Amino acid sequence: MLDWMNRFPQMNEETLRNLKRLIDDSFREFTRGYGSAIEGFFDPLRQMLIYTERLMLGMPWPLVLLILGALAWLGSRSIRLTVASVLTLAAIGYFGMWEDTMRTIAMIFVCTVVAIAVGIPMGILMARSNRVQTVMNPVLDVMQTMPSFVYLIPVVMLLGIGRVAGMIAVVIYALPPIVRLTNLGVREVDREVIEAADAFGSSAWQKLWNVQLPLALPTIMAGVNQTIMMALAMVVIASMIGVQGLGQPVLRAISNQYFTLGVFNGFAIVGIAIIFDRISQAFGRRLQKHRGGMDV
Amino acid sequence: MRKILTLAAFGAALAAAPALAQEECGDLSLSNMNWQSAEVLAALDQFILNNGYGCNAEIVAGDTVPSITSLIERGRPEVVPEAWVNLLPDLVEQAKADGKIVYGANSLSDGGQQGWFIPKYIADAHPEILTIPELLKRPELFPDPEDASKGAIYNGQEGWGGTIVTSQMFKAYGAADLGWNLLDTGSAAGLDGAIARAYENQQPIVAFYWEPTALLGKYEMVRLQHGVPLDDAEWERCSSNADCPDPKPNDWKSDVVYTLIASGFAERAPQDVLDYLNKRSWSNDTVNRLIAWMTDNQATGEDGAREFLRTQPDQWEQWVTPEAAEKIKAAL
Repeated sequence: MLDWMNRFPQMNEETLRNLKRLIDDSFREFTRGYGSAIEGFFDPLRQMLIYTERLMLGMPWPLVLLILGALAWLGSRSIRLTVASVLTLAAIGYFGMWEDTMRTIAMIFVCTVVAIAVGIPMGILMARSNRVQTVMNPVLDVMQTMPSFVYLIPVVMLLGIGRVAGMIAVVIYALPPIVRLTNLGVREVDREVIEAADAFGSSAWQKLWNVQLPLALPTIMAGVNQTIMMALAMVVIASMIGVQGLGQPVLRAISNQYFTLGVFNGFAIVGIAIIFDRISQAFGRRLQKHRGGMDV
Repeated sequence: MRKILTLAAFGAALAAAPALAQEECGDLSLSNMNWQSAEVLAALDQFILNNGYGCNAEIVAGDTVPSITSLIERGRPEVVPEAWVNLLPDLVEQAKADGKIVYGANSLSDGGQQGWFIPKYIADAHPEILTIPELLKRPELFPDPEDASKGAIYNGQEGWGGTIVTSQMFKAYGAADLGWNLLDTGSAAGLDGAIARAYENQQPIVAFYWEPTALLGKYEMVRLQHGVPLDDAEWERCSSNADCPDPKPNDWKSDVVYTLIASGFAERAPQDVLDYLNKRSWSNDTVNRLIAWMTDNQATGEDGAREFLRTQPDQWEQWVTPEAAEKIKAAL
């Protein structure tokens, strides 16, 4: 009698199977019909990714170290950070991981730029309207928690393995932090300051650009930091759909049980994550010099 | 009170009996690789061993290289049902000679067929492309999506023996100099997705693959010949050895697929269980049909195993003892 309590009353297996098959077949029809159009849409991005990678790979290594040192210095004006960044990258190259690192840097750089370029406006839109926030929140939740391979299977079927599919995976995963934190930062700007700006007759755009964004900057920079970290965390998943870079040796290490290979490449990924992050944080801090000594 | 005690004793005896039976076979782990034929075979073994012989078999995921290495080095997983031994010939031969493992049955009786495949529509349109050297002359026919100046050959994922052989073949036939890239697809899903996409769009592709599989059952593809006869010694020395720097062109050694069993387990397991593991063997036809059913119904290995047991008793009853057969039928 209590038998029904031991097994959850689920949909009829036949119905479930037919439902799954229906969705699969519809998707296959969709790829056949719109596949090439969607591919065409992503082509400029693909070209940009290939171009950036060729650029990074083609640069002689002293030039790369020089540019990194210059960026670190301009961003932070800190000798310690500059020297540490250059030494870390040199160590990575010394252990035989230079080419892979250049590929990963090229890929992640483009993905991060895309994520930030898309994410900050989205966050601002969310901050201006409660309705947009209500709609966006579940979407962001899905983007952060849906296992990547679930949406990668259709993406690979549409766009093939390689850079574009990898970029989609990385951007989807790395977008939510910057969106959420931009939203949070802008919303948390002191209401009295906004009132003051209104009192001075600011337009909405002036308010945004001159008041809200500068005051929200610490939180937005935290968002940038998180986006960079999450983008680099996706490097190994991207390698599972054929993206070259540091992820591939890690995947090889996992599949063949080469412990040290995995550790070295893992540390290389951590190394560039920290370099990217410290430089962007230092840049963000300098942008906030107007706060006068408030060290965030 | 006495009635309760008697009942309790009776109950304990009943509970102990299956435990006693389990002690004979004990715990073991079966290796499940991430392709369909291995998945359904592991599930089948688990069902038969647990229900027919009272073992406590659990399934452990792992690909060819890590599973066989682990079996040889650590004795776990105790049974690798579908080991493509010619992909690690030295390792396996050595382990057998050292007495660390024993061979079970020839699980895929027709053997496995690996190689480089092109779609049938391409083979029909270009009937001259029959062998790998012929293929390598035409990189412009199979352009790399990210670098149209080169051809692309899609390799399998890391951890597969076939991936190592493909890389060595790529080197041996000088494909890089002839204007080709070897693409690492990263995962089985990546490889399948790439082939499916190309086939659905009727585009050219040349990829590593193997039979028996559902994908080849669904998308008709033609295997390329290698243009040279098989050289066993070269296969062992170089074609299947990732560290060998100078591979020579060679044919793909047909794959005999064995069940490998750890010696430790072979010694302690009951004779019935060993008999089963030594007899259980099915043809590529059977597997292809079963896998096609599994794909159509989005079935797991376990579902596939049950379907096989339900629909083909004439096949599996020959592998098990009559008592085990009864117990298995009851458990279905």
